[in-house]
Amino acid sequence: MSIDARDHEDAEVFDGSGDDADDDGDNKSRVARWADDWIKHPEKAYAVMLVFLGGVLLTTSLFPLYWLFNVAMAAPGQTDIPLFPATVDLTAFVQVFQQVPFARFMFNSLFYAFTVTVFVLLVGSLAGYAFGRLEFRGKTPLLFSLLVLSFFPPATLFIPLFRAFNQQVPMLGLFTLPVELYGTPGAVVTPLSAFTMPLAIFILTTFYGQIPDGLEEAARVEGTTRIGALFRVIMPLSAPGVATAGILTFITVYTEFFFSYLMTGNSAAEWAPVVDGVLAFQTQYTVRYDLQAAASLIAIVPVAILVVVAQDKIISGLTQGALKE
Amino acid sequence: MARVKLTDVTKQYDDVTAVDNMNLDLKDGEFICLVGPSGCGKSTTLETVAGLTKPTSGEILIGDREVTNLPPKDRGIAMVFQNIALFPHMDVYDNISFGLRLRDFPKEEMDERVDEAARVVRLQGMLDRMPSEMSGGQRQRVAIARAIVRDPDVFLMDEPLANLDAKLRVNMRTELQRLHKQLDTTIIYVTHNQAEAMTMSDRIAVLNKGELQQIAAPLTCYNQPANRFVAGFIGSPSMNFFDATAGDGSLDANGYSISFDTAAVDRLGADDPVEVGIRPEDIYLEHNSVEAEDPSRTFSVETDVLEPMGDEIFVYLKPILESFDEETADFEERQGLLMSVDPATDIGEGEHVEVVFDRARIHLFDDQTGDAISHGVVSDADVEAGDDGVQVD
Repeated sequence: MSIDARDHEDAEVFDGSGDDADDDGDNKSRVARWADDWIKHPEKAYAVMLVFLGGVLLTTSLFPLYWLFNVAMAAPGQTDIPLFPATVDLTAFVQVFQQVPFARFMFNSLFYAFTVTVFVLLVGSLAGYAFGRLEFRGKTPLLFSLLVLSFFPPATLFIPLFRAFNQQVPMLGLFTLPVELYGTPGAVVTPLSAFTMPLAIFILTTFYGQIPDGLEEAARVEGTTRIGALFRVIMPLSAPGVATAGILTFITVYTEFFFSYLMTGNSAAEWAPVVDGVLAFQTQYTVRYDLQAAASLIAIVPVAILVVVAQDKIISGLTQGALKE
Repeated sequence: MARVKLTDVTKQYDDVTAVDNMNLDLKDGEFICLVGPSGCGKSTTLETVAGLTKPTSGEILIGDREVTNLPPKDRGIAMVFQNIALFPHMDVYDNISFGLRLRDFPKEEMDERVDEAARVVRLQGMLDRMPSEMSGGQRQRVAIARAIVRDPDVFLMDEPLANLDAKLRVNMRTELQRLHKQLDTTIIYVTHNQAEAMTMSDRIAVLNKGELQQIAAPLTCYNQPANRFVAGFIGSPSMNFFDATAGDGSLDANGYSISFDTAAVDRLGADDPVEVGIRPEDIYLEHNSVEAEDPSRTFSVETDVLEPMGDEIFVYLKPILESFDEETADFEERQGLLMSVDPATDIGEGEHVEVVFDRARIHLFDDQTGDAISHGVVSDADVEAGDDGVQVD
């Protein structure tokens, strides 16, 4: 009997038997009984789908991390990585710090991320205040040009910026930079601030625009300036938005590769980012995959902590976006 | 404490003039209400005093200082807002002490002042609450405490009671008056609620379309309105208006003819069109005509709709006239009258009754400009803004 035919018979039996499907379950295929059961009890279907989709999601997102851990457990030079490590040997996580100044590499990247985040939140707040709370001529074109800027591929700006930071090209054709920025944190912080700024401004504009005028006026009457009201009243009340903008910026910069790798030297003392730290375990003749894996895992930790700590704020910032007075 | 003086203050937006040549001179310690319909510029006027809006032209003095271009924080003002505007992320203590902290007050003095302010508005024991845990009236009291704690020269209040329910509003009204007596600070109070304006203020400034219509004591505005707008705006229910022509010693309207003393109304020539205004409580049933100061002759009218309010009955009247031309007269609009009578009055709908007007309380307005020509149309009743003027049943 073909499956089609069987299904067809079941369908007729079901039609004939009326609404009580449980009694004549024996006449049906297993699939049909499941279907009946799930139609009657949709929560079962939801539970199964939840487990299934959740499993897929968790596997795809967590398995790579587990694999990295496995690689870190393997002996140096071992290329055949088993699904379960033979021994749990955490020495790789210590060696990472012994062989290269990995802490300094991490500090460099965290320094970039932190500096850019603070700068972007400060300047972005002023811009967000202007765009969100003031009416002025040219507001829409300005916002629009910000949007256009954020679509610009940063890589196209690399060559001109590289030359400008090396004092080879006069800025705007007028002057060369007073100091050579190349190889300093400035060569990473300035372009990355510019690239992450538009998104932060858009997020902050939305949030600052929702704070009732009365609160700002009350703060100004009570004794703040406009900027004082921004930092004392508007920003605290927009905490989810500020947290969202800040964390998105932080993660973007921390994980950024292109500018932070190319604008700095290769050693930790030359402000090389964490990626350079991972690559430092690769020499001309040897690659320590176990140490690279361990270094990668360590490098994830700060961002993971940040996200766990601020997840409430991020979620409410991304989804809700509204404030009650 | 300080006087406040506005000289030729104008606020021009792109297409509207929100405030037009405003001149106000408030005495030290005065409680003044700015009233007017929505969009009349009263809030904008207040904002120019607060410094939240910069006037297009004109000059503002607080005390003896010119403050026109000073930011709000340097003007010595405090403000209470319609939407209360407490900082939701701060508890009551932090809200009240916000301005003091910005001015770097020492901790002890700050505590002292906050306690004192909390005592004045009866908020003791609530200083560690968050605004979201408080009722509307409590929040408004916090806002008032925040305003008084800095001991400002001038209080600005922008419809502070508008968002409260009716009972609470009356309560807070009394509390504000008590507070004014206690603090004796100049208060500028914006409201569209004329009951608040009438009961609380020393003087009322009536605004319309950005222009000052009249500034005077509440009862003066009520009894001697400077123009038709003030007459119609102050008083609830509103004054009755109808067109009339001045004859020789009598006003002729469609249906009503009222004699007047030419001596009392000297600015009126023969055949001048005027607008006659009379308040509902200044119309009497004939048998009560002794209560009128100077009754006119009687008019036959038909009662239309009755609105019993409990303490009085509002009666809508329409004239009965053979000569009445329903075709041409817009009688619903113009000649229908509203009368208020004692609640004990035996009166029904659709009855024919005789009424008299109190000639001492008839107001005449220029047909074109709306300016008041005369209050009272008899010479011996040159109306004073007396206390008994309003107490008509």
